[in-house]
Amino acid sequence: MSATSTAGTPGTPDPGATRRPSVGLDDPRLKDRSTSRTYAALALIVALLAVLPLLLDEQTEAVAIRTLIFAILAVGWNLMSGYGGMFSFGHAAFFGIGAYTDAYLLVEHGVSPWISMLVGATISAAAGTLIAFLCLRYRLAGAYFALATFAFAQVFLLAVQNLDFLRRTEGFNVPLLLEDSWSMMQFEQGSPIYFWIPLAVLALGLFGTVAFVNSRAGQYVQAVRDDEVAAASLGIRVMRYRLVTVALSCAFTSLAGAFYTQYYFFVGPEQAFGSGVSVNAIVPAVIGGIGTVFGPLVGALVVGPLSEWIAQILRDPPESLAFLQGVTGLDVAIYAALLVLIVLFMPKGIYGTLRDRFRS
Amino acid sequence: MKKVSLAAAFAASALALSACGGSGSSGSADGEIMIGAVHPLTGALAGVGSLMNNGAQMAVDDINAAGGIEALDGAQLTLGEGDSKGVADSGQSEAQRLISEGAVALVGTYQSDVTANVSAVAERSGVPLVIDVAVDDSILEQGYQNTFRIQPNATSMGTDGAKALIALAEANDEPIESVSYIHIEGAFGQSVFDAFAEEAEANGVEVLEEVTYPGTNFTDATTQVREAAAADPDVIVATGYYPDSLLIAQAVEALGPDVDAVYGVANGGFDDGAFPGDAGQAGNQVLSANYHYAATDERVQDIRTRFEEEYGKPMETASMLSYQAVVVIAQALEEAGSDDPEAVREALAGIEVDDPLLAFDGPITFDETGQNENATVIVMQIQDGEVEQVFPEDFTTSEPVYPTNR
Amino acid sequence: MTTSPTATDPGGPTIVEPDRERRSLKLPAAPLFVLAAVVVALALVYTVGQRETGLVTQSVATGLLLGGVYALVSVGLTLIFGVLGIVNFAQGAMLTMAMFLVYEMSTSGGIPVYVATLLAVPVMFLFGVLVQATLLNKLTMAGNEEGPLLITLGLSLLIVNVLLMIFGGRPLRVPGSVSGRVEILDAIMSYERLIAFGGALLVAGALTLLLRGTSFGLSIRAVSANTQGASLVGVDVSRVYALTFGIGSACVAVAGGLMAPFLSLTPSVGEQFTILAFVIVVLGGLGNVAGAVVGGLIIGLVQTVGALYLPGTGSLILVFGVFVLVLFFRPQGIFGATR
Repeated sequence: MSATSTAGTPGTPDPGATRRPSVGLDDPRLKDRSTSRTYAALALIVALLAVLPLLLDEQTEAVAIRTLIFAILAVGWNLMSGYGGMFSFGHAAFFGIGAYTDAYLLVEHGVSPWISMLVGATISAAAGTLIAFLCLRYRLAGAYFALATFAFAQVFLLAVQNLDFLRRTEGFNVPLLLEDSWSMMQFEQGSPIYFWIPLAVLALGLFGTVAFVNSRAGQYVQAVRDDEVAAASLGIRVMRYRLVTVALSCAFTSLAGAFYTQYYFFVGPEQAFGSGVSVNAIVPAVIGGIGTVFGPLVGALVVGPLSEWIAQILRDPPESLAFLQGVTGLDVAIYAALLVLIVLFMPKGIYGTLRDRFRS
Repeated sequence: MKKVSLAAAFAASALALSACGGSGSSGSADGEIMIGAVHPLTGALAGVGSLMNNGAQMAVDDINAAGGIEALDGAQLTLGEGDSKGVADSGQSEAQRLISEGAVALVGTYQSDVTANVSAVAERSGVPLVIDVAVDDSILEQGYQNTFRIQPNATSMGTDGAKALIALAEANDEPIESVSYIHIEGAFGQSVFDAFAEEAEANGVEVLEEVTYPGTNFTDATTQVREAAAADPDVIVATGYYPDSLLIAQAVEALGPDVDAVYGVANGGFDDGAFPGDAGQAGNQVLSANYHYAATDERVQDIRTRFEEEYGKPMETASMLSYQAVVVIAQALEEAGSDDPEAVREALAGIEVDDPLLAFDGPITFDETGQNENATVIVMQIQDGEVEQVFPEDFTTSEPVYPTNR
Repeated sequence: MTTSPTATDPGGPTIVEPDRERRSLKLPAAPLFVLAAVVVALALVYTVGQRETGLVTQSVATGLLLGGVYALVSVGLTLIFGVLGIVNFAQGAMLTMAMFLVYEMSTSGGIPVYVATLLAVPVMFLFGVLVQATLLNKLTMAGNEEGPLLITLGLSLLIVNVLLMIFGGRPLRVPGSVSGRVEILDAIMSYERLIAFGGALLVAGALTLLLRGTSFGLSIRAVSANTQGASLVGVDVSRVYALTFGIGSACVAVAGGLMAPFLSLTPSVGEQFTILAFVIVVLGGLGNVAGAVVGGLIIGLVQTVGALYLPGTGSLILVFGVFVLVLFFRPQGIFGATR
């Protein structure tokens, strides 16, 4: 393995280094090597994943697609909360805006989902920026910021349930077409295109994350995250760069929502704005590694198929586990225990911890 | 190249893991015919979901014991169990899994939003879905060809509930002039109320007050009941789920308004087997118009007795509907003489299932939207701690007490 | 500047600590203003609200009793949030756990509900101490805010689903407790809810005594005000943390036991209280027991009296609206000091 060949630069600052003052990150030599390697790794992963749907049966593809949606959510969340240091507990709001914009424009006005995606992303970015502006303007941080975003997501949920033009609790059904249509983003059930679209979105998010992290805005916002006072005293316009990060994160998250509507053909208030969605954005990122490029992806690969694996084991359990058959709630219990254990013993997540181990 | 290799290792392991997942058996092997059941087996609704799954399983066992599907050389049925977890995306992937494993028809799913998803899967896969429980009208308004529903929808329950109440009151020489209505917010409560109000007004019964309450953070119904009672109605009508309906019954008992009756329409609490015990005095003589298993039918009594022996819990109506759904599919298989999903769909569209296990107006037949045309409600009443069927006369297990002497 | 990120200040939670000296000076203004606002609002509802007087009285009574229930859940949370800076998302799940504990004792053990409640208190206390000592202390001591939030989130899912595995999802009832009701000023109140209300006041009073009148209470307050300072003068901070979480859990045990008689028990029954409890805690001021009680009563009133005009979920939007406004304009809560 070529792993030892680069051992000469032990402290190579990964763009996603967590919570560490990013001294030396500006050194162009270091940055270029690290970044191009990350890009290469990303390209390889995306290429490998792109082959998947050709190998999977329909049911497994459905699980894989759900995993991709988790990954997109987590990548979006990670941008704002991992790199930006603003812990959002309300990303359901932005997922929901994407999902409902798509559903509303499609069902009521026949607008193509591709256009709705852009519209939804714009609305989501605007809403997110406004919320974050208010929170930051009134100096909410940490737990308070989390609670405020949670409250906003709840308000969105309640508002949708009370708005006639969004059909209150009834939700929207996407009308079925008789044949495949790119413009309406509708394909035969089990078509690999249903996998490739979110994969492309995810790739956009991952490459975007690396580009953002290396950009001026990305560098600044991480500096602000690590030490707001110092960053401000250096003349960084704290608010502006934070809001840019939030806008990107929210816009990206809304894409997952739009795709959700298209793939599942139905969206209601709970599916879009329920607090479970916010949790689904956070948990993969935490399990994989907050503030790292690959962490959210790794986390989603663990969390996405988890309940499916457990369900499969319980459907035909080995003798030692036979007593668990028919027990309800086990999969979520394991998911929860995993979350607790990771936060406790691998605070940098699976990917972050492994990366550190490889380095040292 | 450390990083590349590490990242690539993750991707490779993802590939490998996903490949492990794809070990589902294909097709209907061994001459067995699979029916897929999607219910919430985990999550907050796991209790009722498991009972429904058990109901479907028992129907499969009964049919197999009676010789399987005769038209297909006695082919045996198997039940593919799917867990929606109470959320729509899991419902969808489970439905897809069951179909890819060879299910010829689906049964499910209890919740309206999950059913909306699963019915889209059914439509796209060309596999029929027979809805056992799911109430929203909108599910069958999508123009789908593959979705059928046995239970009445929200609107028809509202309409039939109003008719039954008026007829019941008249039969007991205490005609009603006005009601107040308390219902849960959302599509379900609203559609039942709208239909009830329309039918009631058309028959000269005034709806004095419409009081709504939220489905969450609702732990005390005193204000709502008082608001409904303040208009001095003849009857207080209520539509909601179990815990909230219990709160309403308790609040009515506490406030003791001067009304002829408390009457549930499509109420998830008032005719539940556990309700009399939980509500105690507050539940006494509460009336409820709902779809219900036909307690007067000997076959139903037999099924319920055996169910309780087998699974240790009383068989509620939802569970009976799952049983019924499997029976309907089995008959469609017989009539189609084929286990091709499209043929089964054709057979379902023209089916006529006599002697339904539910207290309906007649045989189960589906209209062009897939709705069972003879699905309706009957009126039940809690008497001496038991849920009794009291109206109409064909289904009575006990005489109604009306007006109730609360 | 107290709300800046934690990187430079690993010593303690970055919550806004009420400055005790200033608070005693400024105490009257805000609470009195809020009290006046509530009274004026109620007066308006009675006079020009166009609702029947009896109905309004009933909704006020119901709202106060409901508020008592909320207060009961919130006093434990305000301690945990205020002293430890932990956003305890498992508060609702722990409430459910206590309810099922009481359920199990009273159905299988035949113990009367209110006796079972007393028995549940030490059990939940130990559970809380254990959770803090094994799962949370390390992170809390490091001043990490998101870590504990995630752990309690996981814990909440774990508790709910383990309860689901044991008890299933069908609603259960705790049998045979005090029945009956009393009528005061044309408003009807059930004894069970009145007992819960009294319990809330009792718990709040006991907590206040503990915090104000004992040396252990002094060390809790010291840790809350200045973790490093308290540690320097010899307070065992991690022990105080564990015991504080234990006390917060014990409060939940009382809440669960007193609420069990009038709620249908499902594994998810407690979760609806979690977010409302946060609203109340923030409204009342972190770590402020009296504030939590008043906050609970206000939210209870907003929800029930508000429902006369904004039925259903409308009143909940009102609640969250109030929450966000308080977060923005008075994050230290009504009873907290001005910054």
